[in-house]
Amino acid sequence: MNEPSKDATATRSESQTAWDPVPFGATEVRLSARQWLLVWAILVGVAALTPWFWKKIERFDIPPDYRLPYTLSNDYWLYQRRLERITNPSAIVVLGDSMVWGEYVLPDGTLSHFLDRETGQPSRFINGGVNGLFPLALDGLDDYFGRPLRHRQIILHCNLLWMSSPKADLSAPKEQTFNHSRLVPQFFPKIPCYRADANERLTAVVEREVPFLAWVNHLQCAYFDQHSIPAWTLADDGRDPPHYPNSYRCPFAQITLRVPSAPDPDPQRGPQSPRHKPWFADGNQPTDFDWVPLDSSLQWHAFQHLVSRLQRRGDDVLVVLGPFNEHMIAQENLPAYRKTRDGMAAWLDQNHVAHVVPETLPSALYADASHPLTQGYELLAQRLCQSPEFQAWLK
Amino acid sequence: MLFYTWPFLIFLLIVLPVFFALQRTRWWLAWLAIASYFFYGWWNPYYLLLVAYSTVLDFCLVVLMDHCPRQRQRVDVLARLTRLRFDEPVLRNAFLVATLATLGSLTLTLAGPHTVRPAMVALGFICLLMALGALFRSRRTWLFISVANNLALLLFFKYARFVSENLNALLSWVHLSLKLPDPSTLMPFGLNYVLPVGISFFTFQSLSYTIDFYRGNVDRERNFLRFATFVCFFPQLMAGPIQRAKHLLPQLRQFPPFQLGNITDGLSLFLVGLFKKLAVANYLAFYVERVYDNPAACGAPALMLATFAFAWQIYCDFSGYTDMARGVARLMGFHLILNFNHPYLATGLGDFWTRWHISLSTWFRDYVYIPLGGNRRGPFNTYRNLLITFLISGFWHGAAWTFVIWGALHGAGVMLTRVLERSAIYRERVPRLFKQSWVFLYVCFAWIFFRAESLGDARLIVRRIFTAAWRDPQIPLLMLALVAGVWLYQFLYESRVRGFLRHGFVRVGLAVVIVLYLCLCSSGGGVFIYFQF
Repeated sequence: MNEPSKDATATRSESQTAWDPVPFGATEVRLSARQWLLVWAILVGVAALTPWFWKKIERFDIPPDYRLPYTLSNDYWLYQRRLERITNPSAIVVLGDSMVWGEYVLPDGTLSHFLDRETGQPSRFINGGVNGLFPLALDGLDDYFGRPLRHRQIILHCNLLWMSSPKADLSAPKEQTFNHSRLVPQFFPKIPCYRADANERLTAVVEREVPFLAWVNHLQCAYFDQHSIPAWTLADDGRDPPHYPNSYRCPFAQITLRVPSAPDPDPQRGPQSPRHKPWFADGNQPTDFDWVPLDSSLQWHAFQHLVSRLQRRGDDVLVVLGPFNEHMIAQENLPAYRKTRDGMAAWLDQNHVAHVVPETLPSALYADASHPLTQGYELLAQRLCQSPEFQAWLK
Repeated sequence: MLFYTWPFLIFLLIVLPVFFALQRTRWWLAWLAIASYFFYGWWNPYYLLLVAYSTVLDFCLVVLMDHCPRQRQRVDVLARLTRLRFDEPVLRNAFLVATLATLGSLTLTLAGPHTVRPAMVALGFICLLMALGALFRSRRTWLFISVANNLALLLFFKYARFVSENLNALLSWVHLSLKLPDPSTLMPFGLNYVLPVGISFFTFQSLSYTIDFYRGNVDRERNFLRFATFVCFFPQLMAGPIQRAKHLLPQLRQFPPFQLGNITDGLSLFLVGLFKKLAVANYLAFYVERVYDNPAACGAPALMLATFAFAWQIYCDFSGYTDMARGVARLMGFHLILNFNHPYLATGLGDFWTRWHISLSTWFRDYVYIPLGGNRRGPFNTYRNLLITFLISGFWHGAAWTFVIWGALHGAGVMLTRVLERSAIYRERVPRLFKQSWVFLYVCFAWIFFRAESLGDARLIVRRIFTAAWRDPQIPLLMLALVAGVWLYQFLYESRVRGFLRHGFVRVGLAVVIVLYLCLCSSGGGVFIYFQF
């Protein structure tokens, strides 16, 4: 053990006081108050201008029937940007989860596409669905990224699937991971199955409040496979033994300044895909659902909250309740389902919210409990357009 | 609560304003102690009992030590035992309390619940020693109790399993049926046997106070709150830098003067620490983990690069923590000692230890190496003392043979450097860059033992570095560029270009780049490596 070397004391800072016998630091990235102010001014400028400037330079093509690509489902900054790009003042945004987005169908097989066709007004109905959403997250998405929706006509789809069990309702006490956890309320109301630590929750809160960080997330989603840049350089190809294809790639070369589009053709969706088939094709049978009472349902409360905010914001809202795949519900379980559905309709009535409760589609037009197949969406659009409530709302 | 998490920011945003608001009152110290205990309790509230116990005991021991004469005096033990005739009422009271506590512990050991017996035996032993210390008015006994108590805590929580496993293996090797119990069975009330975070740091800090007082290097601290704050001062509680009483206690005597410079300095230190931890250490950790988790599947270049990466990972992790700790303390106006000073630019192993974990190396120098005799009794004893000190230092880092070997390698390296530096040719003719390079390579070699999961893994890695095929290491270029950038900055900083790096525009530019890099490329969370020590 030696005495401290001369080097250790050589870094003593110039402004040491008599009672400060400690060298400042080895690297001396030491800023004065004025320099800190300059740093913060630069950072605030960069943070404020970059997302704005990025919108100018990044190419974002929005073809007819556009929906956010599946791989960009977590890119909320892009979602907001997509909403901002709606220039038609009479456009109607269809908001909802994967049912609106079209889990099993192609963009030209979605509800918004068939509504366009039925009403004979191309590009009037905008697919505002996001894959993996649920009312708690949809409420957050609208709250933090839905500002461009102000004073618009909105069709809000309510998927009863989210009240079909405590697990789907996220009110079960057992821990579970779910999509879009950054959009759900982080502290109040408490979501029993959400067990993120305090730091994760606060990170989510900060990320959705600071547009610059949402833009950073956009970069990660759009160009780095939803990874941070360091994690992207380390990503493997999933084979055994793994290979690391990005090790020697330049991260900057990834940024093509063009928002990625969905794969065309999408092998996972559309009439040609193996997933596009009736729910009973794999031998599924009607089952019991453990419907959550509405007064204790987290998802329903979030949905109510969302409707109230949209109304407060000056939006003209039409709620479409279902249609849930009743063929999949066991006979003895149907009353519980109807009670839930009727309870929702009653609340909408009481609060003077325009709504439609479409009739259940034929069994063969459902891919699962709540997602129709292409023909199902077509029929649903026809029925909606024929319903007097819809026609009255559409004016 | 890690420094780079949002809960810590909230914690700090509560602690700092209240701290400054209390500057004209005498409550600021209490607030600091409360904040420190809260900070530590956030990890596990049960750990607080250990810190509190260690603090109370060492404070009391120094009080009692203060009532004992510096020179040995004859003591009428019989009179004391039979008539309780003590010169000092404090010692009489201590004797009575310690005796009663010994009897109480004995009773609980014999008749108490099964789960508290081992703890009562230990407590009874400490109380018995205290009674003897009071009886004989012996400063040395009080010091012994402090050392024994702090080391016992450390031994039990950190090394007991290692010792029992090794002894059991030895016993079974010599075919003895005797078997030591697992230390978890000795925990009172069935509490979990887990290593309390930062135990090696706060025990060493507390211990240094009692030893320094015994040696007459510091005055007795009369304010318990101040001493408690010194032991558990939250910025450095988890992983140092280990403060000395004569450095930190005087700073806690009065409210530090509020200066804008402290705030800006604190922020500057914190920012650099944040960069080291989040941008460099956490990133490198991914590659190191990938290679070290499966060394048999990796080629020689990957193993070598992962070892280099680990060298920078541990440096940036630990020095990043230290920078943040010093930054947080500086925000409040407290000055913690420098712990790292470009260790990978050292020109000798001895030099390395004056730049790496300075607070620990000076601790071992002052409390182990010098008491062993230091360099006062000839070269053989000097080398022996060095080796012993480094072996202990290695063992301090962790309860595994890999750490002991790591310590031994450093001990050997320091000895080798000493020998080399005696030669004028080496001192004056060998280029500085060459010295820096071999020291860095040597340190990297030692890190293999530090990082490997087991001795077998370490041996495998060393063997494969020299024998395995030269396959593509698949190390990200960005990672190499980052490390090269940090290395280059340090290299330039110790060269003639330092003046340029200290230019205002360079500093501002650097700070902006660091913040933007953190926003864009942060590698996520991960606890600090040194928390496990």
